[in-house]
Amino acid sequence: MSGDHLARTDATALFHELTRSNLPATRRWYLVVGLLALVVLWGLGCFVYMMKAGMGVTGLNRPVMWGVFIATFVFWIGLSHSGTLISAILRLTNATWRAPILRGAEAMTAFTLMVGGLFPLIHIGRNWRFYYMIPYPNSRELWPNLRSPLMWDAVAINTYLLGSLTFLYFGMIPDLAIARDHATGWRKRFYTVLALGFRGTHNEWRRYHVASTIFAILIIPVAVSVHSIVGWDFAMAKVPGWHSTIFAPYFVTGAIFSGIAGVVLVMAALRKAFRLEKTLTTVQFENLGKLLCMMSLLWGYFYFAEFLTVWYNRNPEEWEVFRSYGGHYLPLWLSMFVCNFAIPFPMLCMRRVRRSIPALCTASFLVVVGMYAERILIVVPSLARRNDPFIWNNYFPTWVELSILASAVAMFLLLYIVFAKLFPIVAVSDVQERLFQATDRAVGGTTVESLARPEAHGEGGRG
Amino acid sequence: MSDGVVVGLFESVEKAALGGDALRALPLPEERITSISSFPLPDGAVSRDTRPIRFPRVTLLGWFLGALAGLALALATYLLYPLITGGKTIISVPPTLIVTYEVAMLGALIGTVAAGFREMGLFRFRRKLVHDPRIQEGKILVCAAVAPGDQARRAIDALSAAGGIDVRFEEGEV
Repeated sequence: MSGDHLARTDATALFHELTRSNLPATRRWYLVVGLLALVVLWGLGCFVYMMKAGMGVTGLNRPVMWGVFIATFVFWIGLSHSGTLISAILRLTNATWRAPILRGAEAMTAFTLMVGGLFPLIHIGRNWRFYYMIPYPNSRELWPNLRSPLMWDAVAINTYLLGSLTFLYFGMIPDLAIARDHATGWRKRFYTVLALGFRGTHNEWRRYHVASTIFAILIIPVAVSVHSIVGWDFAMAKVPGWHSTIFAPYFVTGAIFSGIAGVVLVMAALRKAFRLEKTLTTVQFENLGKLLCMMSLLWGYFYFAEFLTVWYNRNPEEWEVFRSYGGHYLPLWLSMFVCNFAIPFPMLCMRRVRRSIPALCTASFLVVVGMYAERILIVVPSLARRNDPFIWNNYFPTWVELSILASAVAMFLLLYIVFAKLFPIVAVSDVQERLFQATDRAVGGTTVESLARPEAHGEGGRG
Repeated sequence: MSDGVVVGLFESVEKAALGGDALRALPLPEERITSISSFPLPDGAVSRDTRPIRFPRVTLLGWFLGALAGLALALATYLLYPLITGGKTIISVPPTLIVTYEVAMLGALIGTVAAGFREMGLFRFRRKLVHDPRIQEGKILVCAAVAPGDQARRAIDALSAAGGIDVRFEEGEV
């Protein structure tokens, strides 16, 4: 075991170490926040310009009426799968290495959903009428059509967003109580209100664990359903390249794949920014690397299964879409294949790579790029090569769309940075619990970590 | 119920467990003894949770209420605003299942969090509840709800003898 084991740190020092992100803001922090806010404002300006001038300022035109806005929506929703889903699975499987990454991953889900959920609203045109999607009695005699997969999306994403925010908040309550007891001034009042009077009594902990477990059980099928429905947005349409039964599981796989890559990047950034080297060790990164490797393989399998049926069948409409991957869309297709499979899979098979944080971040960054290329490839070529060849057209986003895209990335980073400043970004009580259960034990010539855990939460103990 | 709480701070879980044993030996019933810590302790390590945990039933209730709401939304939509398409039914089953499922899951999530908050006894801002911020330094607080007077004195003696530091009687609730 390394000499800087956290168990040798006392509780107060541990708290200060894990909540370094909550220290008073520095000038550099304000500078970063200011820059990000400027990018967000620029994107907001572009959006207002698009509303005033109309959708003609985008590259969208017949037959490609869905472009980067929808691809970006799918991409962000995919990224959102990392956090809550991974956190829930790790909680349920009692993965001992999970504690340091739970909060960061859950926060990522909440913010990617918030940002991603904006894109359908940005895309719809006449955005000021977005409330037509809300079912309430009105004089227009209009009512949302629940047969439309887009309405399923609205229902599912709202469920997932509410669920993820609640999951994030619920999981944070013990840490808010810890922060309350350490804080002074306005922060004390802030944490006192948010901690809701949690004190850490034995009864509170027991019920907290049961509720967390139920939450984790409930949120997994919700997460799967959300990306399945995003897949069905496409699969329900009789558009070549979209109308496929494999789309729902394929989308869920891609979502988890990009999500894990996102978690790796966020964790590495948090580790570096807040000097969390003792908490976020190579163990967490290596395990995430293993998951990423498996998902790369699974994604490759799904892609091949989808390709094989179209290739064998040679249905002319579908085959034209696939042929375009080798023509106009070749750079995108190559980016997707190389970044999602050809490079990361062999890389991640090597333990040396998984244990090297820079190398793992490189692989994860490639996956994020590859998955974005994949989302564009799903949305655009199918429309660009739709049915009659005389209306075939290509699409390229304009500066307005690219600005809004950049603004979305800045908004995500801004939300995350502000969150990390206000709330404990590492689950302090989970880390403490794990340290309480762990001891170093000499086995022959080496020392290994030994874990003492009741068989089930809250059971066992002294008879 | 009792009129106050005897609290004792302990340096470690092991010492706190001795404090719990001393209170039980008085004898004080198990449901009157609890511990307060900054991380969860296994049941029985210091105190034992005797109250049954019932709120998973509320999760189930939330699921059913959500399912009903989702079903009502879908059916009301079809019936109040019928979308007449040649040769197709007004009520479409698969979309109804999807909407019902999503709203049902939302109901279950809301039910879990609402019942969880209630059973954990949160939101009691106006009540005087015992607490000691020193638990954040890794210490464990052992508490017992007692009647003032002889029972309180005996509980204080028991916790002090078990190694408790800053053992005291407080007006308030656990």
